[in-house]
Amino acid sequence: MSSGDYYAVLGVGPDASEAEIKKAYRKEALKWHPDKNPDNKVAAEQKFKAVAEAYEVLSSPEKRALYDRGGKEAVSGGPSFAGARAGGMDAAFNIFEQFFG
Amino acid sequence: MPDGADDGKKSYSMGIDLGTTYSCVGIFKDGEVQIIANDQGNRTTPSYVAWTDKERLLGDAAKNQVASNPTNTVFDAKRLIGRTFQDPIVQADLKLWPFRVVSDGSPDDKPLIEVMYQDVAKKFHPEEISSMILTKMKLTAEAFVGQRVRNAVITVPAYFNDSQRQATKDAGEIAGLNVLRIVNEPTAAAIAYGLDTKSKEKKTKSGEKETNILVFDMGGGTFDVSILTITDTVFEVKATAGDPHLGGEDFDNRMLSYCISEFRRKHKSDPTRNQRAIRRLRTQCERAKRQLSTQTSVTIEVDSLHEGQDFNLRLSRAKFEELCMDYFKKAMEPVSQCLGDSGLPKSQISDVVLVGGSTRIPKVQELISSFFNGKQLCKEINPDEAVAYGAAVQAAIVSGTGTEEVENMLLLDVAPLSLGIEMAGGMMQKLIERNSTIPTNKSQDFTTAEDYQDYVEIKVYEGERAMVKDNNYLGKFVLTGIPKTLRGVPKIKVTFNVDSNGILEVTAEDMKTHRKGEIQITNEKGRLSQRDIERMLQDAEAHKEEDDLARGEMMARESITVYMRRTRKALEDIDSEKILKRDRERLEKKMEEVDLWLDEHSNKATKEEFEAKQRELESAMNTIMLKINRSESDFWEQQAILPENEKTIEQGGYFLDSGLDIRDLIEDPD
Repeated sequence: MSSGDYYAVLGVGPDASEAEIKKAYRKEALKWHPDKNPDNKVAAEQKFKAVAEAYEVLSSPEKRALYDRGGKEAVSGGPSFAGARAGGMDAAFNIFEQFFG
Repeated sequence: MPDGADDGKKSYSMGIDLGTTYSCVGIFKDGEVQIIANDQGNRTTPSYVAWTDKERLLGDAAKNQVASNPTNTVFDAKRLIGRTFQDPIVQADLKLWPFRVVSDGSPDDKPLIEVMYQDVAKKFHPEEISSMILTKMKLTAEAFVGQRVRNAVITVPAYFNDSQRQATKDAGEIAGLNVLRIVNEPTAAAIAYGLDTKSKEKKTKSGEKETNILVFDMGGGTFDVSILTITDTVFEVKATAGDPHLGGEDFDNRMLSYCISEFRRKHKSDPTRNQRAIRRLRTQCERAKRQLSTQTSVTIEVDSLHEGQDFNLRLSRAKFEELCMDYFKKAMEPVSQCLGDSGLPKSQISDVVLVGGSTRIPKVQELISSFFNGKQLCKEINPDEAVAYGAAVQAAIVSGTGTEEVENMLLLDVAPLSLGIEMAGGMMQKLIERNSTIPTNKSQDFTTAEDYQDYVEIKVYEGERAMVKDNNYLGKFVLTGIPKTLRGVPKIKVTFNVDSNGILEVTAEDMKTHRKGEIQITNEKGRLSQRDIERMLQDAEAHKEEDDLARGEMMARESITVYMRRTRKALEDIDSEKILKRDRERLEKKMEEVDLWLDEHSNKATKEEFEAKQRELESAMNTIMLKINRSESDFWEQQAILPENEKTIEQGGYFLDSGLDIRDLIEDPD
């Protein structure tokens, strides 16, 4: 979906403080929110979503730690999905088996 | 006149708080928000629609006649919108409504409201009722700015689900509005609070100050709690929670049940099935509830309520609180949930903002205050108008018609409920977590379970429960045309996209063929199809003509009545010697005839018939006037001095042959 590293998306360094991240998020959100870009809605919305996603991870100490260690893969879906990783595909199989089995 | 932006004229965008019991409209004009009073001078308008034998009534006019026309007076559409007929909440509400609600009989099981209009049963979707209320609010705004207003921001409870939001947006479209945005009510209220506080603190601006507030919004039918962080011009919703079916009406119902049981006990008779009695009693309960916010006890009195028996009951505030205590306590649960979700401790909440009429109840205030360890609550903003105020600001932000201060503001709202799909064993797999900032999207890959399977079907739900059966089903989508191969090989990317209105859109893509076109969103429960909306839009427009027609008749009827009164007075005032006895008698006979005709036809005559009658009367009057005019020019002189090129009545103008302007006759009968 969004490309690039979360720190880069927010324009901060990997050692940025919580306050710095928050401030950067606000700045980027104001810049890219679709309401603020009526002439460039679609592209701005994509950018805004990427900013929000980066902030969601970097504003949570746990998610940020996961991200720092294992990148986007480590946090995708959020911690509540962690257990479902292995089962993800299987679960998807099962749902279809219910329909066709 | 061209639509929308007229040359040189500024186009306005309005904010509408579409409430369960009352609605309110505001507009950003001349650098500030104006809350607009309706034609009755009221700044909030009852969310009521009624049908009488003759016409459709909206707002105050509809609510004022509810006791005499209970079965054809519709309210509470917001409690039906986006729900199914079998929804337990709908089933419970049904028992308390005097109007009829039926199922549409389709697999979607949509509820329909049935009323009798001109001896024909008419059925309406809740969206249509809401659209009528929106139309009323639109007319109110238009009367204020003196031009058409099409663009609107409409508010919904933050805890409204996807179907309810979509249905509200549909209602706006049926009303012919361009819905700029669906905004959450507590968020809108927070804007009102933020602007209010900011204007007070203008001078003490010390860089980036962060304020956390909790908005407690309890209105007539819904209840929301939202926590926001306000930093300079950015309003960020951290968490939201609530109950889309809790509010003042529930308290009224409790009081009503209590009163009925008291009546039964005293008089050994049951008024439950007497709709008119119930309606009258309910009105008194609502009034008593309001009074109990300032008084410690009230008397509820209704003369000849049922079977000739009067109702009279002294009710203390303590008793009222006892009757509703479980509701009041229930309202504290979303407060703790919201606080928990926001990750903020109680001590970090610097202000608790009260919005909605029900927050006037002392016990409700007491419970919130004690939840926050005795905190002083913020009652600075108008609880009835704050939501419309914020909506008007948001309308100005979105349409770019505000001041610089407003244009710099940014609202970051959240999705109130988690969104996900059904997994093995009926488990819910969330793609979007509740309280995610919107707009947002999330994707996940899926594959096939069978060899050579060429399509997949996925069911979408919203809610927080682990099993999908406990959550709200939104619909399913099917992706076809997957290249036939071994199971587990295809990769199908499913993307959930929540837009700025909090409305979900689902797309799926086969990553190999990049096929997207074959996705079908089917069985969108609770939603109207585009065809439905278009049909209703046409109906609404047809109804508008009908309404205009009714208005035309009313005006024609009024005109002839006033003309009669003026003529009568003129006859009295004119020196009897100046008129021939014969002429006077002729006119009197004509007036008598018109009087009789009015008695008989005034309820069914058309505009043209009224006008024809008035012309008959005018020509009788005309004869007299001509004669008088000749004999007593000084008396009629003033009226007679008129431009020669003015048209007479026969020519379609306003002037009698004598040169008398009939508009003078039908003006203010002092």
